[in-house]
Amino acid sequence: MSTLGLLVLLIAFGAAAGVLAGLLGVGGGILLVPFLVLVVGMTQHEAEATSLLVILPTAIAASVALRRRNVGDLPTALAVGLVGAVGAVAGVLLALALDADVLRLVFAVLLAFVGVRLIGDARAVR
Amino acid sequence: MDVALSSRAYYGRLGAIGLAGGLFSGLLGVGGGVVMVPLLVLWGGYGQRDAHAVSLGAIIPISAAGMIAFGAAGEVRLPEALALAVGSIVGAQAGARLLARAEERKLKLAFGVFLLLVAVLMVVGR
Repeated sequence: MSTLGLLVLLIAFGAAAGVLAGLLGVGGGILLVPFLVLVVGMTQHEAEATSLLVILPTAIAASVALRRRNVGDLPTALAVGLVGAVGAVAGVLLALALDADVLRLVFAVLLAFVGVRLIGDARAVR
Repeated sequence: MDVALSSRAYYGRLGAIGLAGGLFSGLLGVGGGVVMVPLLVLWGGYGQRDAHAVSLGAIIPISAAGMIAFGAAGEVRLPEALALAVGSIVGAQAGARLLARAEERKLKLAFGVFLLLVAVLMVVGR
C-alpha cells in the first residue's frame, strides 16, 4: 500500500473506532489493537504500544468535553489514574516479558469477554 | 456512595481500582475502562455515567505511563499513531453526539458478534 493510502486508511479507521467507542462506551483500544495486528501487520507489542498513544489524546479530548458539560470529577479521576500509572508500567513490563503469541491469546480472551458482555447487554435492553 | 465507608477505605478502593485498570491497560494496550467501569460501579458506588467519566479521566495518566514504558522499549509506531489519533478524536465526538437509545440494542448485538469473530481471527489469523 502507498504511504498516502495507509495514511487515509489509518485516519478513516481511527474515526470509525472513535465513533463506535463513543456510541458503545467501549474504549478504542479493543478495536485498534486487532486492526493494527491483523490489517496493518504490526507485532502484538507494537500494536499495543501504538494503541496507547492513540488512546491518550482521545481520552484527553473526551475528558475536556465531559468537563465542559460538568460530568464527572476530573481531579479524582486523575488521582485514580496516577495510582493506575504504576500498574500500567508493571503491565507493560509483563507484556514485554511475554511472548507475542501468548499475549495475542490473552487479548483474544478479552475480545470474547467484551463481545459476550455486549450481546448480554443487548438482550437486557428491551 | 457508601456513607458507612470511611474516607480512607474509600480512597484505598479507588487506588486499587486504578492499579487494576493500569495493569490491564499496560498488559493489553487498551484504556483499562473495561476493568475500571464495572469496579467503580460495583465496588466504588458510582453510577454508570460518573463511572465512565472517572474511568476516562484515569485513562489519561495510565495511557501516558504505558506509552512511555512501551516507548522506552522502542515499540511505539509514531506516524501510524498520529494518523489514527486524528481520526479517533473527531470520531469520538461524533459518536458521543450520535448516541441514541433506539439503535443501541442492535448496535451492541452486532458489535458483540463482531468482537467474537475478531477474537477467533486473533487466535487463528496471521
